[in-house]
Amino acid sequence: MIDVRSQISMVFHLDKCIGCHTCSVACKNVWTDRKGTEYMWWNNVETKPGTGFPTKWEDQDKYRGGWELNSNGDPVLKSTSRARIIANIFHNPHMPSMDDYYEPWTYEYDNLFNAPEGADQPTARPISMVTGEYMDIKAGPNWDDDLGGSKLYAANDPNLEGLTPEQRMQLQAIERLVFFYFPRICNHCLNPACVASCPSGALYKRGEDGIVLVDQKRCRAWRSCISACPYKKVYFNWFTGKSEKCILCFPRLETGQAPACFHSCVGRIRYLGVLLYDASRIEEVAARKDSELIEAHRSMILDPFDPEIMAEAQRSGIHESVIESAQKSPVYKMVKEWKIALPPHIEYRTLPMLFYVPPLSPVMSRKEDGTIDQVSTDLFHSLDDSRVPLAYLAQLFGAGNQAPIRFALEKLKAIRLYRRALTVGDVTEEAAAKLLQRAECSKEEADAIYRLTTLCTFDDRFVIPPMHREEAIEMLQDPQERKQSAGFGFLSGPRRG
Amino acid sequence: MKEFSPLRSRRAVFFTWRKQVGLEAITSSRPRPRVMGWAMILLSFGVLHVETAMGQETEAYFRQNCMSCHTVGGGRLVGPDLKNVSKRKDQEWLIEFVTNPKGLIDAGDAYALAMKDAARGVIMPKIPGLDKAKAAALLELISRESVLEKSQFAGLHITDEPFDASDIARGRDIFTGSLPLENGGASCLSCHHVTDIGLFGGGKLGPDLTRVYERMLGRKNLASWLLSPATATMRPVFQAKPLTSDEIEGLVAYLEDVAKAGGAEDATPSLMLFLLGLAGAVLGLMLVDSIWSYRFRAVRRPLVGEIV
Repeated sequence: MIDVRSQISMVFHLDKCIGCHTCSVACKNVWTDRKGTEYMWWNNVETKPGTGFPTKWEDQDKYRGGWELNSNGDPVLKSTSRARIIANIFHNPHMPSMDDYYEPWTYEYDNLFNAPEGADQPTARPISMVTGEYMDIKAGPNWDDDLGGSKLYAANDPNLEGLTPEQRMQLQAIERLVFFYFPRICNHCLNPACVASCPSGALYKRGEDGIVLVDQKRCRAWRSCISACPYKKVYFNWFTGKSEKCILCFPRLETGQAPACFHSCVGRIRYLGVLLYDASRIEEVAARKDSELIEAHRSMILDPFDPEIMAEAQRSGIHESVIESAQKSPVYKMVKEWKIALPPHIEYRTLPMLFYVPPLSPVMSRKEDGTIDQVSTDLFHSLDDSRVPLAYLAQLFGAGNQAPIRFALEKLKAIRLYRRALTVGDVTEEAAAKLLQRAECSKEEADAIYRLTTLCTFDDRFVIPPMHREEAIEMLQDPQERKQSAGFGFLSGPRRG
Repeated sequence: MKEFSPLRSRRAVFFTWRKQVGLEAITSSRPRPRVMGWAMILLSFGVLHVETAMGQETEAYFRQNCMSCHTVGGGRLVGPDLKNVSKRKDQEWLIEFVTNPKGLIDAGDAYALAMKDAARGVIMPKIPGLDKAKAAALLELISRESVLEKSQFAGLHITDEPFDASDIARGRDIFTGSLPLENGGASCLSCHHVTDIGLFGGGKLGPDLTRVYERMLGRKNLASWLLSPATATMRPVFQAKPLTSDEIEGLVAYLEDVAKAGGAEDATPSLMLFLLGLAGAVLGLMLVDSIWSYRFRAVRRPLVGEIV
């Protein structure tokens, strides 16, 4: 018996990300410029290899986020359990401290204008946004941006675990350094550990679109969500004493606009659309072996063109217009049809619904005897020679499994050569066709991927379903509830207590 | 100059305001809560007073307040035997002495000074609630008891024979509480220490009893003390749950033995206890630290080589 639900899902195309942090700034300006949220970055962009934000968030031996399988093979929270929640009632362990994030700061700009005349230029000293005191900056949310301090940060990336010492050395060798960007927001998981861990039931997954939210009225500052989320994407507002997280700009989605970070993306790397999935399989899929997780996760996504699925979806209360939107979803194509987008760290078993197209990293030039050689003749050599080792990407997007990464990269590489055969002509069409065939990609598919990744318009990238709030609200409360009693008074913000 | 009191002035303002708005009639008809509270407290004191006066009959009063130092026909303890006391001194003198013993001694009364010497310098304490009427009632009771062959206040007869080892062992068990007190009183160890007890010692609330046998001048005094302990702490405890004569005998045997063994009352046990406590606390913390050695401390600082 399937249980069809709809989920607003996302794809980030890492080959297109230029690491400009525009998304982060857009998000910060819209949502997290309030007191208590200064350190939060609901959207952040990390340099990989790197330790990310908060420092080494992927090290679940330290932070104990996500799920693990118990002796019966059932998924259980790594951070807590019913017994442990009582034992740790006054202190929730395994939480990043402010030091593991960073102490947010501003600068004393006034001094630049108001400093008395002196022998030196006035300076704007950094001031902590928490204490208001002068401070020494020790870390920031993208402290290791573009491999800054790579000996320390990149070298301690938990994803390097799957690499041989030789590969690790190469990643650090001068003139062989490589990095790519890894923008992150809440994954709005199907099996969210944050929701499962909350003792107050303050976190919930919206029925109509699967957005995971914190009810600010119900949150009691237990902070279980903060240790439970393996992506460290729930943050504690120290001023209001409530947890906060990415809301996928639902007020924007409900009015047909893309979330702020999607809208502002300079590289147009972000795609958004609805997926239909089978909610009855969540527990079963989350309990699979690491090697089966990606395939099982993908198999939960249902074909929105299948009449049976469509009928079942309507029976589950999914509006026809949402099903239509799911048929046009760019995410469905990239994740399910083309299989070029992969979930991040699915071994955490939260079943994330944000997918990444892994980056190609061909060798562009070689240095021999002091001269640098362009190697355009062999631009798309074997993937095993990629500068970012497949083993590294496998840790990040394949639960240690290289096959799905290889499949995706092989396809992307074949499409590039195919396009090169059409437009440049230095690759024969036969060779390109052979490569496409080997990548299990038809010419039509190659064209479609090419169009969606390079020529995409706003409406191609963001297929926002009609949210039907008027219907969604009926799932939770009577729409007549506030009739004759609303429309005048005060809204109150979240406060401690 | 009028004293300034912010409280009073505010109240004055309130009352004026109350008059102005015509609230006086409403509020003043009700008794004010504070007055009510005081009335309740005074009332309960009154009830208590009447109750004690009625309940505490003279005999019980004698037993509780006098018997730890006096007998009637049982011989001298700390204080003299009170048999036929009214024949030794007149009623007026006795009442004056009993209600204020120190007063007469300070005044240099010859008989009172002689009594002080007889008690080896111990002066009879002023007993709470012992007024002239009560003293007269007590004297009358003593006269009545004096003519009896064996008064109920003759005190406990303790053997003069040496105690044997089994008595001493029984006494020790009673002291430590291995043998619970028959009437359910708290065992001595709860509040008292004796050098014999060992490392952790007994309670620290009451005095060290190692040499109490000597302080109390022997078996007889000790036994009658135990019959009705007269200190403010012990009286309420043992008034309702007195020691039996068997228990007293055992305890006397034990305390005599301890005193004769020659242990000294000193502060070592408390120092030991402190050191043991300290060591225990340190060990406990080390244990906690090792059990939770894998606990989350910090990630960034160890990474960049800062001391956590």
